Amino acid sequence: MSTSYLLVAGDARIETLLSLAAGSTTTAVVVGPRAVAETVAASGVDAVTWLGEPGDTPLEAYAVAVAGIVGAARPDLVLASTRPADRVLAGAAAVALGAPAFTMPTAVAVVDGGVEITRSVFGGIALETDRVAGPAVVVVDGGGLVASADDAAGAAEIAEVAAAPVGTLTVVETRPATRAEVDLGKAGRIVAVGRGVKSQDDLALAEALATKLGAELACSRPLAEGLGWFTHDRYVGVTGAHVAPELYVALGISGQLQHTVGARAAGTVVVVNTDGNAPYVREADYAVVGDLYDVVPALTEAL
Amino acid sequence: MKIVVAYKWAPNPQDASVGSDGTVDFSRAKPALSEYDPVAIELGRRLADASGAELVGVSVGGKDVASALAKKAVLSRGLDRAVVTADDALAGADSARTAAALAEVVRGLDDVAVVLTGDSSVDVGAQLVPTLLAAQLGWPALTNVTAVSGTAGDLTVERAHEGGSQVLHATGPVVLAAATDAVVPRVPGMKDILAAGKRPTDEVALDAAAAGAVAAVEVVRTAPPELRARRGVVIDGSDAAAAAAQLVAALRADARI
Repeated sequence: MSTSYLLVAGDARIETLLSLAAGSTTTAVVVGPRAVAETVAASGVDAVTWLGEPGDTPLEAYAVAVAGIVGAARPDLVLASTRPADRVLAGAAAVALGAPAFTMPTAVAVVDGGVEITRSVFGGIALETDRVAGPAVVVVDGGGLVASADDAAGAAEIAEVAAAPVGTLTVVETRPATRAEVDLGKAGRIVAVGRGVKSQDDLALAEALATKLGAELACSRPLAEGLGWFTHDRYVGVTGAHVAPELYVALGISGQLQHTVGARAAGTVVVVNTDGNAPYVREADYAVVGDLYDVVPALTEAL
Repeated sequence: MKIVVAYKWAPNPQDASVGSDGTVDFSRAKPALSEYDPVAIELGRRLADASGAELVGVSVGGKDVASALAKKAVLSRGLDRAVVTADDALAGADSARTAAALAEVVRGLDDVAVVLTGDSSVDVGAQLVPTLLAAQLGWPALTNVTAVSGTAGDLTVERAHEGGSQVLHATGPVVLAAATDAVVPRVPGMKDILAAGKRPTDEVALDAAAAGAVAAVEVVRTAPPELRARRGVVIDGSDAAAAAAQLVAALRADARI
């Protein structure tokens, strides 16, 4: 049977990693508090290696230690989530193995001691299937928490391995979030706005529609990164959230692939755009070609 | 003390064409400085000015990385000089090979306090090169960095962290990936563009041994992206109320509202 190593940095949401590792013997290497290791142990992995309480050391400082463990084990496949510290662990593991590292997989299989992976490339404009003769590292959106088995007997044993983090980094201060981050991945309905909205005050139009629909508000990249009208957790796109709501309403978003990739899994796509030639009009279930300043209030009224 | 910024000269996939078999053709997409790299350069410029360090850009890629156009575009952003490996064997290289070649260039520089990178590249967008580069160098890596100050061996780094932020202290060299909105990069003026012509770009030959340390990736096949079939109903919105009524009726029929 093939072997997979799951790298986990302080967050036990590894549903996607487990599904990609299905059929192989799985070992999770966990950095971060023991509680995370315990949640991971109850998620259905076969073994857990825990590197001890991190104290004021950032989890990234354990990358060299994790790379040592993975390099010695030489599993067929290494999986990690796209969260920041997890990516650092994945990079270190890849270098230790001399392995390539991939993102945005749609299918991964261990074949004849190598790995065959199909993945979205160049922001999702095409799919590519690659083969590597040896191990490969795959970084993917971690997904949600795995419902743990009720009986503790089902949990994997946690082996604590004393690991020395790189000694040059310390956390001086952590300022917690002053607001709750939204998880757009869980939203059933989303109203997303783009550059077609002319001023920040006009976002009220979209907010009213979102409230009426019971939808979360989201945006295309320029509104989060250039204009700063939204926080980064509300940005849908290739380097932002990848969402799968039943209903996705895109207001004033032209439909560049960097945005649409993030909403590709949506059930029904509604687009409101003044430009009938905008790419999103062709990729929508319903495209209203008209001025969103007229159409959106009318739509809110009609609901 | 040197502050290094790793940058990429790459085309935007938005300008590429995709064949019905999923082959991606970049021949009509013009390469440029990758979209988030100006943020890293600006962050590096401010740190270099505050600490009296030299700001060195490093890049690897195909021959065009050393083109006059690339040199001018990059150096006018505020780098003191650049060192590149421009070899067509690196054109379109994956994240692991790119990082291995970048590490060779960085190892050729002495007294490096920090390597800065952008959040992700415009073409591959994997957000992995900074972490792979750090591992190649044996340094730690931090991402989503919003501010950095201090000098070699005594750096204060601030980063976005779980919706809040975190301040860290680094007593050794480190690779830092800048958050997309860490700073607003300056727009090069005529003076910057003229000054760029006087700044040097050195070339380092590709180290085949270092490149060979990463397992080869064989492309088995390509395919167009799997898209859901969409209805493609276009509603005339010139009469907003009528369009809204039609849309609401359709969404109700589909049981979406």
